[in-house]
Amino acid sequence: MNLDADIIFKIAGVGIVVAFLHTVLDQVGKKEYAQWVTLFGFIYILFQVASIVDDLFQKIKSVFLFQ
Amino acid sequence: MVKLIGAIFIIVATTVIGFEASRNFSERPRQLRALRSALQSLDAEIMYGHTPLHEAARRLASQMTRPFSSFFESFAGKLTNTETTVKDAWEESLKEVWKSTALKQGEFEIMKQFGETLGRHDRFSQQKHIMLTLSHLEREEADAVQAQAKYEKMVKSLGFLAGLLLIILLF
Repeated sequence: MNLDADIIFKIAGVGIVVAFLHTVLDQVGKKEYAQWVTLFGFIYILFQVASIVDDLFQKIKSVFLFQ
Repeated sequence: MVKLIGAIFIIVATTVIGFEASRNFSERPRQLRALRSALQSLDAEIMYGHTPLHEAARRLASQMTRPFSSFFESFAGKLTNTETTVKDAWEESLKEVWKSTALKQGEFEIMKQFGETLGRHDRFSQQKHIMLTLSHLEREEADAVQAQAKYEKMVKSLGFLAGLLLIILLF
């Protein structure tokens, strides 16, 4: 389990930067771009988290559903 | 270590791109002001100096800074050296110099239309045309100042933040 702290920091970093981008774009009235940026950031993180959760399920399966 | 150097390179590159893009926004009002003062000098040369056009253009070329000095220089050169009309000489010089300015298509059209009137009327109609062009340019300048206030800072921070995001995604 070497990915735990790393991946959390990565998600936090993406969140902060995307939030900044959203505010900056919002302030100059480019609301549609701001929403796209937020959406893409969210989708990216979602994929990351999905792969980790998949890892977790595999592990649970290998523990409890041993053939 | 190599990763860190790469990250620094990325962030420097995107920040420089952002600053370069924002320079365009700050350059445009400045150049529009220069263009307006050039037209005012041209007006003075025509109305009070009764200067021939090629000489007036040469004088303007020595007064102006880059990029417009080279514009008036090539305009004057075309008028004296080649067999051409004022309109064509004006338009060609305009096209030559336009790429090195921060100005847009709207200003190009205004200046082109002004070139079509140049040298075809008496002094007072000419002055009216200059005034018309000046008021058009003034409107463009107000536009440019507004765009500068709005987008200059955004482009700067956008460059930096895009670099940061790229680093985090690649890490």
